[in-house]
This record gives sequence, C-alpha cells and structure tokens, in this order.
Amino acid sequence: MRAAVQALSLLLFTLLFALANYRLPDWLPVDIYLRLDPLLGLSAVLAGRALIARALWGLVLIGATILIGRFFCAYVCPLGAILDFLDPVLFRRTKRRRLEADAKLRNVKYVTLILFSAAALAGTSLVYLLDPISLLTRTYTFGLFPPFVGVVNLLLDTVRPLAEAMRWMTVATMSYRQPVYYMSVITLLIFAGIVALGRLAPRFWCRYLCPLGALLSLFSPLGRLRRTVGPECPACGLCQDACPMGAAEDEGGTRPGECIQCRTCVAACPQDLIAFPASPRLLPAGESSRPDLSRRGFLYSMAGGVGLGFLVEQSPFAPLRDKQQLIRPPGALPEGEFLTTCIRCGECMKSCLTNTLQPSLWEAGLAGLWTPKLELRFAACEQECNVCGKVCPTQAIRSLSLEEKTHAKLGTAVLRKEMCLVWAQDKLCLICDEICPYDAIVFRTIEGYRRPAVVSSRCNGCGYCEQRCPVEGESAIVIAPIGQIRLRTGSYVAEAKKLQLDFKPNPGDDQFILKNEGLRVEPENKDTKGQSAKPPAAPSATKKPKGFL
Amino acid sequence: MSDSHGMTRRDLLRGAAAGLALSVPGLPRPAGAAEPDLAVISGDPAAAARKAVEALGGMSRFVRKGQRVVLKPNMSFASGPDRASNTHPAVVYAVAQMCLEAGAEQVMILDNPLQSAELCLRRAGVSDACKNLKNVYVRMFTDHKFFREIRVPQGKVLDRVEVIKEVLDSPVLISLPQAKSHSATGISMGVKGLMGLIWDRGSFHSKHNINQALADLATVLRPKLTVLDATRALTTGGPGGPGEIIKPNLVIAGTDPIAVDSFGVSVAPWYGQQFKGRQVEHLLAASQRGLGTVDIEQLNILRATA
Repeated sequence: MRAAVQALSLLLFTLLFALANYRLPDWLPVDIYLRLDPLLGLSAVLAGRALIARALWGLVLIGATILIGRFFCAYVCPLGAILDFLDPVLFRRTKRRRLEADAKLRNVKYVTLILFSAAALAGTSLVYLLDPISLLTRTYTFGLFPPFVGVVNLLLDTVRPLAEAMRWMTVATMSYRQPVYYMSVITLLIFAGIVALGRLAPRFWCRYLCPLGALLSLFSPLGRLRRTVGPECPACGLCQDACPMGAAEDEGGTRPGECIQCRTCVAACPQDLIAFPASPRLLPAGESSRPDLSRRGFLYSMAGGVGLGFLVEQSPFAPLRDKQQLIRPPGALPEGEFLTTCIRCGECMKSCLTNTLQPSLWEAGLAGLWTPKLELRFAACEQECNVCGKVCPTQAIRSLSLEEKTHAKLGTAVLRKEMCLVWAQDKLCLICDEICPYDAIVFRTIEGYRRPAVVSSRCNGCGYCEQRCPVEGESAIVIAPIGQIRLRTGSYVAEAKKLQLDFKPNPGDDQFILKNEGLRVEPENKDTKGQSAKPPAAPSATKKPKGFL
Repeated sequence: MSDSHGMTRRDLLRGAAAGLALSVPGLPRPAGAAEPDLAVISGDPAAAARKAVEALGGMSRFVRKGQRVVLKPNMSFASGPDRASNTHPAVVYAVAQMCLEAGAEQVMILDNPLQSAELCLRRAGVSDACKNLKNVYVRMFTDHKFFREIRVPQGKVLDRVEVIKEVLDSPVLISLPQAKSHSATGISMGVKGLMGLIWDRGSFHSKHNINQALADLATVLRPKLTVLDATRALTTGGPGGPGEIIKPNLVIAGTDPIAVDSFGVSVAPWYGQQFKGRQVEHLLAASQRGLGTVDIEQLNILRATA
C-alpha cells in the first residue's frame, strides 16, 4: 500500500516536472511540491524578509503533520520514494549494522535545519543545498532531464532508417530539442552521493541529514496517528532492525519525532503487537517531542548559521551586485532579494522554452550558486513565453502576463563596432536587424555604408541579436544589463512608460531611415574624412535600400 | 532536387506556347495546350492559390501519382498572417490539398525556423490549417542530423551547402513564399525563401555576398512550381516585421522562380519605392546564371480573379 502511494506521488512529481514548459496553463501549479515544502517557504521568507503568497502552501503540510504525523517522509516525499525504491536494488546484499553514532548523527539534521534557518535570518539563502524537494527538482532538471531526452533521441535515431524506409513520417521526422545545462554533472554527483549513503543505513539521508524531515519532526509528535506496542512485547528487537528511520527504541518505545508511520515495523513484528491507532488526545504526558539536540548544540548551530550567512555577504560580490549584474530572467526581483528568495530548484531552467536559462556557478559568488541567468550567446529569451515566472515557487521570478513580461527589460544590446562585420569589414550583414523582434536595430548611413545601430529605448534585451550574430567567437552585439528593469512590486508596463521605452516598434522605421538618408551624417563625414575616395560609392547605397541595384 | 528538371519542361512549353493560340482564361484547358508563364490571380488566398495552379495546367502537371512532395512556405517567424512575415496558411493548405488530389503519396511542409520551432509551428497557423489533411506533415527541422551536404557545381561563391534531406530525397519541391521586404536582400520571395532549407544561414551573411550565394543556391534547389503569396505584402520591416503591410490580394504562380519573384517585385512599393525585378541583386544574379527570366515584360501572363 505504502509503496503504491509513494510510486503515485513520485509519478505525480515527475509528471508535473514534465509539464513545466511554455505551454503551461495558468491554473496548473506544477511547482506544487515546492510550494508545499514549508522549509523552502520559511527560508525564503526569512532571508527575503517579505511574505510570499505561494509559500503559505507550506502551512498545509505543517497542518497535516500536526494532525497526522510525519507521514510526508514515508508517503509523499519523492526523494524518500526514490531512496526506498533504490534501496533493495542497490543494497540487497549489503549487511548494514546499526551505526554506533546513530544518536549523534540523528542530530545532524537539526544542525542543518538550524544552520540554514539562522543563515536565512542573517540574509543568506542556503537551505536549497539540502532541502530534498529543491535538491530533487534540481537533479531532475540538470542531471536527469538532459540524458533522458538524449536517450529518447538516440532511440528515435535508431529506428529512423526503418521509419524512413516504411514512410512512417511521424516517427521519421521526430526528434526532441536536446536540453543542455551547466553544472549537470556536479548536481547529479550530489544526488548520487545521497543515494550511496544508503549503504551505511537505510534512508541515511532522511534519518540524519534532511532538514525538511527535521522541521517536520518538530511537529509530528503532535500527530494523532501514533505507534503503540502491546505490553506483551518481548523486546526481540526485530522492529528496531527493520525500522528504516531508527525510530523504534528498546522495549517497545518510539521516538515520536523520527517515526514516519511507514508501518514497516508492523510487518516485522512476529506477534502482531504493533499498531497505529488514531489517538484522540495530544501527546501523552511524559513523552518528549523535543529533538535530542543539546542547548549547546543548538546555540553553536545558530551561531554558525548566522556567522556563515553574515560571512557570505562580506565579499566583493555583495557591493558589486549593483554593477556586475548577470542577465536575470524577466521579472526577477532586484538582485539582492532575488538571491535570498531563489531556492535553486531549477524549475525555471527546466521550463525555459529556448534553454537560455542556465545555472550560475561562481558568477555571483556563493550566494548565487545555481541561480538562473541568461546565456544569450547560446539562446535568446523568447518574447512569446513567460513560463519562468509561472513556475517559480517563491516568486523570485515574478509571474507576469506576456504584456508585462515584454516590458521587464533584461538589458540593452551594445554593438561592438570593432567586431561587427558591417562596421569593421563593410560586409552586407543585417542579421541582428532581421531577427530583432522589437525593431531596435536601425541602419544609418555612415561613410557611405548603411551601418547598424541600437535604439536603446526599443531594446528589451531579449538577446536574439547576440545569439544570431554570425561573427565567430564572441558576439559583436551583446546584451549588457544597462537599463534593466527589476521591480519588487508594481507594473513593468507603467515603469517602461515612465522611462519612455517602447517595445511595440513603429512599423515605419525603415522608411524613416530612407527618407532621412543619413542627412545628419554627411557633413560630419566630410569633416572627419579628408579624402573623397569613398563617397562616390555612397549615392546608390544611400538612395536605395539594401539588396536593390 | 537534381539540377535540370523543370527547366527543360518550361522551355519546351514556352516554345509550344509561341506557336499555339491563346487559351481562354478561366476555362479548363485541354492537355498540351499552352499554359501561361505566370498566373496572377486576385482574390481570397485559398481560392486564388487554387485558381493560379489550375491556370498553369493543374497540379497534375507537377505532381504525379505516388510522388513525395515538399512544400516550402515561409513559416519561420512566430507570428500570424496579419504580420505578413509568413505565408498565409490558407495558401499552404490549398496547395497541399491540390497535391493530394493529384495523387501525392505524402506532402511534407518544411522550414527551418528563426525563432523557437514550437512557437513558429503554433503561431504561423500552417500546422493547424493542415491538421485534417491525411499524409500531410508540417515539420520544422532544427537538428543537424536532418541535413545533408551537397555540392554546388555551378556555384560562384558556394561550393557546398547542407540541405534538409527530405528536400533532396523528394522528387517535387514546391516553393510557397510570402512576398516581403528584406533588410539585406531587398525583397524576400521564392529565391530568398529557399534559404530556409539550408543549415548554415549565417555564412550567407558573414562569409559570402548573400545575393551571389542565393543565386548559387538557386542552381541546386529548383522548385517545380512557385506559388507566391502576395495577398499581403510586408513592404517595410521585413523579413520578420512588424512593418508596413499593403494588400495586393494576389497569388502569383509560375514554373520560373525568377519570373514569379520578378512579378512579385512589381506588385508593391518596397520601402516606399517602385522597383523592377532586374533591380533586385539576387534575382538579377540568378537570371544571369540562366535560372529564369527577370524581365517579365515579354512573358505570357494570365490575369484573373478568383
């Protein structure tokens, strides 16, 4: 029964992950697992010092835990499900003895919980490192999704010759865009490490490390479903060996915080003495709900977390944040808040239509690990897509309508004339103009040639020009964070209007250029250029648009 | 598309046309009668496309039973027909339907998009329009594995080019361009539109003189039929728009891709100026390679309303 529920939950988690793409309907909360995770919400609220509506979903899980107990770990958690399913596959033959350090190790999860919460209080978000839902979503995005698509395409390639011969055109033409990400190996290795720890003890991760489990265990002893052992218990210890959480104590005792109600012990008991009856009362008197962490341990963790959070901010990355900005997704909060609110789940990068959203490594320091940035030389931000905000569980990227998103200016294109084919080599290249969805590239006649220039008030930084620029190596036109609009609240359309930006280009643009025929350029030209070698070539170029003789 | 087909037939027909009496427009003509060089039909996109092809002798002149056909419309921008950067889906639908009626085994409607393939498929409307047609596939090829390199024996600037395999393997290519302005080549119609079938478009801009490269490409990609959608013309801001749109309400069909484009040049002012086909550098270059007639004054042009 439990395995079926777990499998269903894992399937749902995987399905919602798969559905996170640009076609996502507004009503479907694909990030629901992340929203339900109270630890992510808590940390983002603490670190960002602002209430997040979607984080309130976490209260649902807290409430359910108070009502029922720590069932989440045994039935709902997709990482728990994966560890449970892999355990018999990987460690069936492994003889695992009870760890001597069990009691001490069990406290580690409280240390991580306190450490990360304290760091959040100090203004640094680190909880994503070990939060199971964030970690698993991230693993799915960077570690599993790309190889999955790769394998599917490989299979399709294998059957393609046959399909072509049989004229099964649907199969013959089928191929999926291969997603690629930075940091996919490291993300997968961390996940592999967590699985490998299962060699030491079943659910090693859940027992000893998981900060979400630690948080839930603070409430679970209040749950009404509690493990009871009959008074006839001969203390055979079989349930203790079977319990994947180390929750069964000697002589029929139970550690209420550790028990995840998986009922493995019920099956293990030879005398059927174990039951999980619904108790009408709160915690029976005398039973403790507190973790074993000592006051000293608590204080050390607290101090460590605050210190760590504080120290992370004491680096040049912090003061440089306003100057060396990365190109963040449209609708991303102002950089400081963005870093504290983003939980690095990778959902935005998974759903990104063009794959331009990539995890940062060290570009924003320790505070920016795995945060999304745009890799515009690789792919552009599609103006008809606004999925990254829709799937963001903490709204570090605000969910915006397409109209609003269009006005969330990412930056401004900067033309590097020394590299531009037209400026530097007088070639006939107009790709940036051709591709620009906002008509922000105009041509001006300079030195007898029509040369591209950027109208910054029309450029919203989508990066199509940077991606498509045919110059080898770095692009001759790059998006700099100049003029980016990052709002915590309020309308981007209104802000853009205030700044006199116009992302709905004027259709008469090219005509305007033709009519003016570089009027202002001519006199300057003659001043700076003493020779008149070039001008003869100019008339035809100035009178007629490109491509005509 | 191996090199010479299309041309010989067209020359033959033109020779025949000179000796034969003019046929009555609009009436079904007997087989072997002289077809006009160009059919210029005004009216609703679907009806005009149909009538234009019929005026040339019907689709069975180009597509035989059991053949595989590739249609190349413009659908590489994620925008609808109102933007005039893509071929009207009704034109594509009408032509695909005629191919099926002529007995085509399968019709592949292809492009290599400039924006996200998924979005282009959705917004261009071709996928939707053709979803009820059996054996018609609307596909975007963005993966290198779907391309194959061929030599360009008559190329002046282009030695080799990688083309969508399906195009190379199908006996019939029909070009369905949208009439629009183009910031690098002046206009983009049939000849320029075929650039959507190749892998490395960037090099046309960065490495080669694009107008010469287009003429080179036209020597190896030889559509049997070109149906130019000038129901709307994007006269500025092309190829992607947005820009000024006028509505000539015309569909122009012919077997000579240069002549079709050349006529297309004449139907609208481009960037506010009237041009002739000969003034478009890539059309002139292509005609100089013997690929078609750029001066259309002498051609037999049938005009009608659908």
